[in-house]
Amino acid sequence: MIEVKDVSYSYSGVTALRNINLHIEKGEAVALMGPNGSGKSTLLKLINGIVSPDRGIYRFNTQEITRQKLSDNKFAKSFHQQIGFVFQNSDTQLFCADVYDEVAFGPRQMGFDETEVENRVNDCLRLLDIQDFKSRPPYHLSGGEKRKVAIACVLSLNPEVLVLDEPMSGLDPRTQRWLVEFLVNLNKSGKTIITSTHNLELVPEISSRAILFDENHTIAADMPSEKLLEDIDLLKEVNLVDQYYHCHQGTGHKHFHDHNF
Amino acid sequence: MDKHSAEMQDMPQWLLKEENYCPQSDRDAFINKSILSLLSILSRIKTQGAGAKGKYSVNAAFKVAFTFLLLIMLSVSQSSSFVIVVIVYLLAALSLMEAKTIVKILKVSIVMTLFTFVILLPAAVGGNTYSGIMITSKVFATITAVNILSRSTGWSSITSALKRFLVPDIFILILDITIKYIVMLGDFVLNMLYALKLRSVGRNISKYTALSGIAGTMFIESKEMAEGMYDAMECRGFTGKYYVFSQFKFTIADFAYIMMNIAIFLGFLYFGRT
Repeated sequence: MIEVKDVSYSYSGVTALRNINLHIEKGEAVALMGPNGSGKSTLLKLINGIVSPDRGIYRFNTQEITRQKLSDNKFAKSFHQQIGFVFQNSDTQLFCADVYDEVAFGPRQMGFDETEVENRVNDCLRLLDIQDFKSRPPYHLSGGEKRKVAIACVLSLNPEVLVLDEPMSGLDPRTQRWLVEFLVNLNKSGKTIITSTHNLELVPEISSRAILFDENHTIAADMPSEKLLEDIDLLKEVNLVDQYYHCHQGTGHKHFHDHNF
Repeated sequence: MDKHSAEMQDMPQWLLKEENYCPQSDRDAFINKSILSLLSILSRIKTQGAGAKGKYSVNAAFKVAFTFLLLIMLSVSQSSSFVIVVIVYLLAALSLMEAKTIVKILKVSIVMTLFTFVILLPAAVGGNTYSGIMITSKVFATITAVNILSRSTGWSSITSALKRFLVPDIFILILDITIKYIVMLGDFVLNMLYALKLRSVGRNISKYTALSGIAGTMFIESKEMAEGMYDAMECRGFTGKYYVFSQFKFTIADFAYIMMNIAIFLGFLYFGRT
């Protein structure tokens, strides 16, 4: 479904991706991990067609995605309907007067009649448990609520692939738990889920496969999530876990912690 | 019924099916154009002064001072020979920069010079040929000089250099903050435009509503940033005094630059007499 072949990309001469090779099948749940600035967000932008590779090929459903192809209005719209992107900062994604209009923005453009739009919006609001905020302006919501609205906006387009850039950041543990279960259910319903995250604890739950970026902007590992998390040396090498001494009941010992603690 | 099938029953039917959607074409080039122009402004600010290191690493205070002096000399001088000397000097200085930067600077200078030429054409045809040529040449030199300063010096170095000319610290602080927030809010708006583009999957009958939404959200964001910064400054004990520190180190490049500019000044005095 998604094929990235020998892709490199740089921002104003600064390398963000170096020789990336990746293949994601329909229905997979994949987690992208790596230190800050390793290229995870850039890869997600590339997958969504926001940036185009300087070198290499990106294919979606066997079709090569290029800047030229995306300049074709109809093709770009069809492509964007199939891949939904949830931005790291939900504020950037919300620009309508109230939550209902925000979720209805996509379905209305897709040409559904208002009854169908209303059904879709209500389904999304129910799924994300935000029915009570229906008529509230998005900027009055809390961080977790905004994140839910942003996901609802994307979900109402019914994309095949859902791409989420660090969806757990800034959420309280309860909302994180809710979001994990929601993503698992979405994946079970057939959606392909690609998530970038620093939260190692949640990786095996939200994904069956983990892709690890290193500080050289290359893929250091691509393997089952459970297996990757067992490779402490590799995680230490890419700066995702720390090792330090501390005491438990008067006994000093070594301990590994991921960066969320 | 097991938990999994119960969850699947909870999912609406339309979400379990693949969308058979064929989009209608829509005219939304304004989103792409806005993204491109914002990208170019942001990348200009972010990379500004990046090429200042190495062969063109003259102290910013000297560059600001002598560029200012050069502009005054250019405006005051009535001598075509002096203007030609300055243009030759500026083109020589320009040749020390990267090819890409040279093209960008010359593009702006030439366009502005042509524009001035067109405006002055009736006067030149009417007999004021000398004035027409002088003003056009001065516009070329002035824009090239300012562009060389702007392209070869970072904003922060320019604002720090202002300190040496007794510009009040609070004014420098306001300039610094303005530049910082142009970048931060610019990034924010850029991401909003990306989001609008990704969510515009069909025909949008109220494009300007989305754009006004973006403007409104940006206003709220800037207000929140301003309030956050005010609170942070209060917590850090800000009393209105802002200190700009810079380590001054005199280099050979500075010496050569000063000598060159003194020569230009002497040229101004010499040609001014003739």
